[in-house]
Amino acid sequence: MDTYTLFAGQFLPFNERYLPGGHNACAGSGTALALRHVYKALEDKNADLAQARWDETPAGMFAGREAAGAPVLIIPKAGENRLYICLDAEAAEKKISPEQLIKKSPAKAAASGCLYCATASPSHPFDLIEKVRRGWSAAGAAYIHILCPCPTAWGFEMENTVRIARMAVESRIFPLYEIAEGHYNITVEGVRPRTVADYAGRQARFASWKKAQIAALQEQTDKLYAQLQASAAREMN
Amino acid sequence: MATKSSKQMTAVSKLLDQLIKDGKVEAFAAAEKPLKPVWDKLVCARCALCYLYCPDAAISRQDDGYFDADRDLCKSCGICHRECWFGAISMQEVE
Repeated sequence: MDTYTLFAGQFLPFNERYLPGGHNACAGSGTALALRHVYKALEDKNADLAQARWDETPAGMFAGREAAGAPVLIIPKAGENRLYICLDAEAAEKKISPEQLIKKSPAKAAASGCLYCATASPSHPFDLIEKVRRGWSAAGAAYIHILCPCPTAWGFEMENTVRIARMAVESRIFPLYEIAEGHYNITVEGVRPRTVADYAGRQARFASWKKAQIAALQEQTDKLYAQLQASAAREMN
Repeated sequence: MATKSSKQMTAVSKLLDQLIKDGKVEAFAAAEKPLKPVWDKLVCARCALCYLYCPDAAISRQDDGYFDADRDLCKSCGICHRECWFGAISMQEVE
């Protein structure tokens, strides 16, 4: 059997250059997983990762309101350009609002002059690594919005971090797409889309939400995804 | 199995420490009886999914191509057990 089995993961370098000794973040942290893959992507890119630093996302400037307060990793590139990586862990039950769940940051970043903008999720590591590398090699500023599920704040079992991230993509509440120099491209198209209710039902932070609220969220999600599909289709013709 | 028990401060862990300080990420608190992943080599297809999804980079590839976890770095989150396509990983109490 072994002769004929081939898995994409086996082609990755198996060295952990930037995270060889563990870290202090909580178990099952989506932020830690996303950060690990970001560094893995830039491992062989001659990036000055020692210069990378955190900043709070400035609301309105290039990110949408939903990302206000989320930590942004700023990695300096050649010239004055920068690679912005937003690690969006959303919010716990009390503070969660539909505005935070529907992401408009990449479009805003594209409008304010980022040449490469994308959304990424740690549940699709190859997609994430590819996007970070594209952002790195883009000629200008680049912005990547990563969804980082947090077991304690969102209220789910810590073993489900990757699963919840994948469900966010499948329910299309967090679609994976990229905007390269104004061209839209949906990189992961769900074959069997889930409902938002399915995604929300597995997290304790949505426990107090009424059915009507979830339905409204579904409507918003579908509307935005249809817009996204229209923008992507326009490029093809 | 190569052990790397001493915690090293590296670029990523420093960045995460800053986030913990700012209250963006929760700090880790160990459970009383932590369960650790154990691989069934008869079932494992060496697809490297467990390696990809480990947030702590505790899983490493061994010389024979199979995977194993550093028990000092593992925080017993169980993501590898949940994500394994083949059901080759079980969470067990060890030692």
